[in-house]
Amino acid sequence: MSFVEAIAAKPVQKNRNERKLTIAKALNEAIAQEMRRDKNVFLMGEDIGILGAVWGYTGGLLAEFGEERVRDTPISETAFIGAAVGAANLGMRPIVELMFVDFYGVCMDAIYNLAAKSSYHSAGTFKAPMVLTTAVGGGYSDSTQHSQCLYATFAHLPGMKVVMPSNAYDAKGMMTSAIRDDNPVVFMMHKNLQGMGFLGTIQGAIVDVPEDSYTVPLGKANVARDGKDVTIVGLGMTVHQGLEAAKALEKEGVSAEVVDLRSLAPLDRDTICRSVQKTGRLIVVDDDYLSYGVTAEIIATVTERDIQALKCSPKRIAFPDIPVPFARPMEQHCLPNIQKIVAAARSMM
Amino acid sequence: MTDIRIPEGLWEADKEGVIVTWLYEDGDTVNQDALLAEVMIEKVQIEINSPAAGRLKIAKAAESTVLPGEVIGVIA
Repeated sequence: MSFVEAIAAKPVQKNRNERKLTIAKALNEAIAQEMRRDKNVFLMGEDIGILGAVWGYTGGLLAEFGEERVRDTPISETAFIGAAVGAANLGMRPIVELMFVDFYGVCMDAIYNLAAKSSYHSAGTFKAPMVLTTAVGGGYSDSTQHSQCLYATFAHLPGMKVVMPSNAYDAKGMMTSAIRDDNPVVFMMHKNLQGMGFLGTIQGAIVDVPEDSYTVPLGKANVARDGKDVTIVGLGMTVHQGLEAAKALEKEGVSAEVVDLRSLAPLDRDTICRSVQKTGRLIVVDDDYLSYGVTAEIIATVTERDIQALKCSPKRIAFPDIPVPFARPMEQHCLPNIQKIVAAARSMM
Repeated sequence: MTDIRIPEGLWEADKEGVIVTWLYEDGDTVNQDALLAEVMIEKVQIEINSPAAGRLKIAKAAESTVLPGEVIGVIA
């Protein structure tokens, strides 16, 4: 069910005003509800306890659930992500934070050789039902080691789900699904969407969120906007850029459809192909590095299935293959933006 | 009519904060205690909740600077 369908299908509650939340608040609510429901759910990470996480989504959990279940850790991802995998293998459901995805180097063995594979090694005896939360994305001059996305790095490795919500409604439902999932789930949070004052927040990420618990399935893309002339595929931040580009294109008589992937692994290839069958044109937008990335996978998927669906060569807009520059004009030049998407669409008409 | 006011005593009276985000638009109907806006002072984020239920009228737009005690909107 798409976001729009889910909203339409919701029972109309009399006198219920919209309750707009940031992604951070929506994640907080999902985690709290799952911790109340299942005593095996617990949290670990740097500054997720007293501070409430650098990304603002664990506030109040320490007070409600105590130190046993909300564990501030030392600055050793190697140790505490390894510990989370072990706990998950033995039946717990840890939510563990890798504060910036850029830091994966020191803990990747625990993630891709242990968590991703333990179920396969043990014929399902030792599953790894854990959620690895991690922040991605740049655009705020945080330079090479704090601005990367690395979607493809994780999505390339089998055995894990890799997801990222673009708005607070999806964030709550996807987090609930991720916690209940028996697979390790890499749950990415885009810094430009999260709802942190010091980073600014894209307004479109702040949407109405139901109070009650609900799930949004992992592995289903969402058609965020219907159109007939060109398909713009993105995830997280680039969905919002795609939606803004679609508004600009509408004024020029071009009808753009926007697909929010929501999940990279599994990838909802059917929704992408169905959209391109309709529009005949494809632009993929990605704030991760260009080469060997999400853009290539999407385009390969479409051309493999039916190259005849395309009226012209597909286009990709992604971060060039260089470390993220610190200087603002240089970084902004490299990032995808609305103008680049509009220009690409125009050139295809 | 209930004023939406930046609380006093959260930071030094002569320092300016910034409204980072309004979670609702002008004219939206909101519940009492709904999270309305986020204000930054230095690197601290402060949440402004609705003092009443009703229709929101925004007086100071996002990115405006604000002082403690200042009225940033009303609930009608």
